[in-house]
Amino acid sequence: MSDEINDNKTIQAQSSEVMTGGSAGATPDMDYVRPAEIPEQDLYHAHSFITKWVFCQDAKVIGVQYFLLATFTGIVGLILSWLMRLQLGFPGLAGFMTAEHYYQFVTMHGMIMVVYFLTALFLGGFGNYLIPLMVGARDMVFPYVNMLSFWMFFVAVAVLMASFFVPGGPTGAGWTLYPPQTILEGTPGSGMGILLMLISLSLFVIGFTMGGLNYMITVLQARTRGMTLMRMPLTVWGIFTATILAMLAFPALLVSAIMMTLDKVLGTSFFMPTILKAGEVLEYGGGSPILFQHLFWFFGHPEVYIVALPAFGIVSDLISVHARKNIFGYRMMVWAIVGIGALSFFVWAHHMYVSGMNPWFGFFFATTTLIIAVPTAMKVYNWILTLWRGNIRLNTVMLWCLGFIVTFVNGGITGIFLGNVSVDVPLSDTYFVIAHFHMVMGIAPLMVIMGAVYHWFPLVAGRFLDEKLGKWHFWLTFLGAYSIYFPMHYLGFIGVPRRYFEMYDSPYMTSAVGMNEFISTAAFIVGAAQFILIYNIIKTLKTGKAAPKNPWSANSLEWFTSTVPPGHGNFGDRLPVVHRWPYDFSVPGAKDDFIPQTTPPSEVVHTEVEKT
Amino acid sequence: MEDTKKKEQASTHKIGIYLWIWGLLFVLSFFSYLVDWYQFQGMLRWSLILIFMFLKAGLIMAFFMHLFWERYALVNVLLWPMTAIACFIFLMVAEFEYTLFSRIFYFVVGG
Amino acid sequence: MSDPKIEGYQLKPGFSGMAADTGSDQTMFKGVHWGKAMMWIFLLSDTFVFSCFLISYMKGRGSTPVEWPNPSEVFALNAFGVPVPLLLIAIMTFVLITSSGTMALAVKYGYEKNRKMCGWLVLATAIGGLTFVGMQAFEWSKLIHEGVRPWENPFGAAQFGSFFFMITGFHGTHVSIGVIFLFIYAYKVFAGHYDERKRGWFTSMRGDYVEIEILGLYWHFVDLVWVFIFAFFYLW
Repeated sequence: MSDEINDNKTIQAQSSEVMTGGSAGATPDMDYVRPAEIPEQDLYHAHSFITKWVFCQDAKVIGVQYFLLATFTGIVGLILSWLMRLQLGFPGLAGFMTAEHYYQFVTMHGMIMVVYFLTALFLGGFGNYLIPLMVGARDMVFPYVNMLSFWMFFVAVAVLMASFFVPGGPTGAGWTLYPPQTILEGTPGSGMGILLMLISLSLFVIGFTMGGLNYMITVLQARTRGMTLMRMPLTVWGIFTATILAMLAFPALLVSAIMMTLDKVLGTSFFMPTILKAGEVLEYGGGSPILFQHLFWFFGHPEVYIVALPAFGIVSDLISVHARKNIFGYRMMVWAIVGIGALSFFVWAHHMYVSGMNPWFGFFFATTTLIIAVPTAMKVYNWILTLWRGNIRLNTVMLWCLGFIVTFVNGGITGIFLGNVSVDVPLSDTYFVIAHFHMVMGIAPLMVIMGAVYHWFPLVAGRFLDEKLGKWHFWLTFLGAYSIYFPMHYLGFIGVPRRYFEMYDSPYMTSAVGMNEFISTAAFIVGAAQFILIYNIIKTLKTGKAAPKNPWSANSLEWFTSTVPPGHGNFGDRLPVVHRWPYDFSVPGAKDDFIPQTTPPSEVVHTEVEKT
Repeated sequence: MEDTKKKEQASTHKIGIYLWIWGLLFVLSFFSYLVDWYQFQGMLRWSLILIFMFLKAGLIMAFFMHLFWERYALVNVLLWPMTAIACFIFLMVAEFEYTLFSRIFYFVVGG
Repeated sequence: MSDPKIEGYQLKPGFSGMAADTGSDQTMFKGVHWGKAMMWIFLLSDTFVFSCFLISYMKGRGSTPVEWPNPSEVFALNAFGVPVPLLLIAIMTFVLITSSGTMALAVKYGYEKNRKMCGWLVLATAIGGLTFVGMQAFEWSKLIHEGVRPWENPFGAAQFGSFFFMITGFHGTHVSIGVIFLFIYAYKVFAGHYDERKRGWFTSMRGDYVEIEILGLYWHFVDLVWVFIFAFFYLW
């Protein structure tokens, strides 16, 4: 069965010279790449429909499965946000909308978008599809576990969606699920709703761990010949680092979910202090609600970067390809990604300035938070400098990238506001915070996802998405998103609190009412604009322009598969051999304006390129 | 020839080393049990517990889990993330002291 | 385990070796089996799980103004009519360390392709683990008999029972899963799956004695966690 694949060991290197140390160093023959360390992977060959498309062990299919399921949950989240905006902009217009419903929608919207949509889409979707292709592997290293990972995610989503239909509805405690109110009567969904949420999160963590191990080991141990870590596309770096963060941060979520489940089911008091309710002391007592907040944010802050780092990586590649220039400061970009990842474990309590934690913590966490802005800013400069004097193709992909940079800078700057204790205290729990985190980890990564979809769709489906529809999609989303979130900063400054179902006759209402109507209208339009993409995909699959091989003239390995779209085993008989980084665009003196990673130095015509 | 022989010896360690570590683990566990038996209290107790704990953990990781013989690339990847845990522990010590302080303070002074 | 031989690549020792390995192509952990690398990363993740549990325990115990029960009295066992502090725990520790030792030897004999010896040692480890789980069940039932519940206990702070049952329960689950796998792998060793390099039941990867080392890593980790639980729960 799988023995048929040729053993890679038979591929002999062109030189018998034994290299010392690491990568392509100074050897007489510059084209020499040392032989393969690992024998060819034994792949599972599927024959039936079920093993090919349902319980599939091919990372590319799993990636598409992740993508589709995450998009489905994302659409649910989008509809929930419409309902919320309907209530906020036009109170009372939707008759069924009670305060309880509103809180449930807020909670589910937040949890779905952060965990089940963005995390699953970036790591599960793009990670599965792109990592093996970009590092030159035949598949993920543990295809069976990878398959289980997706189906665990599927069960997690099913459990989450089931909570909409249980008595009491889904939990309405806010996506942070702060105890004690989360599991006390009076909070919507404090019965079955919260229980299903906690179970679903635990399942997600277990499923993700299976996938995450795959991504990490594939990057670390299954790269192709010549592919050093510093020759990996930044996409892989971003997803890889985000996976490390997830592997180390999700445990805190799992632990807090287990403890809260016990509080709910067994009546333990891990997080539950002594509580007086209508003059009666409840049976809980002695627990520490702030412990939950620490555990949650020990997960929650790295989670922000789990979403952001893949976006950073992907956007770097897109900008480089479509500006026809090498990414500025590649090594700096890599170290910035790693540095942000490492620092993200030391900043969590900046979400808790007003929680009543030890007052000294404010100093520590404000400092670390401002330090993390340094590598982030370096990345922004490098994107700008990559664009600087580049040969920019102003297509849809590039538009999304530019949109990303703008929204990310915007959200990043408000993040610096909120990182300072004295500024955060009046601003926390206002719309300013909403505007900040939607800009920085909602809209910005979403822009990258859209750019990535337009960029890699020709690879996945072999057809170009429609540019005209794409530009409509972009401009509606970009302008619309600014119309939603820019006014929210202002609402925050005048003190409109977040998480309020209705302002009633409060003094805020008079000045905020028009703004809220405007924001809501924009939100409806932006939400509807997303369906342009779905229409575009369906239309393209039927009648789209066929894409040639490597349509964007990119350098990275995913474009150099034997077939387009790539088939089972990715690379045909022989795995590619890598001779350079993926950013050799517009090299002076070279024949083409791009030199693929697989081109050996001797085949580059009149090259003046330095070794990387 | 001699080189390959040496390699094989290195990859399967002599049984003696395992028996030694095994014995040491029993001795250390016995010592930590004695800490309780003699009812040492305060700093002495805590530091002894921690010393024996880390010694045991170190021996298990280094020899039973072969970390001592692994290349530094792997060892480093495994040990660096512990700084995040160390930071978490350190901060939570400060946090529980503050929580205890505020609980007693407000119990005495009144809310 | 120790330095492998890789064609065309010269392994350097120490930190310069670390730099060279990290900078090289194909693999970062030279000669480390995929499964073994995966197990290490998984254990790293699991370390964070147990660390979070123990940190929560520290925070909960440290911030409670109520008296914390004295473990040396709570976990005492009557032997011949005299209460001996931590007797059962001492025996459990003994059993677990014993099983860890047999596991380490099983790995050694596995690499020497000594099928019989390896199989018996894995089986001995499994039986040790089973004994441990049995004794933990006994300990739990004794405490429950004395009125300790996850939500309350007669000795002091309610969180004592909560943390005790949760953390030892989570550790016990790990041990139980380990025992199941130990039995399965003992079968696989005896049946000669690794000598014949037979493919796994679910994967198309070929069997190899390295799988015993991977299982061993998990088992030693379970032991490692017990070292911490022993120190922080029973002695502190």
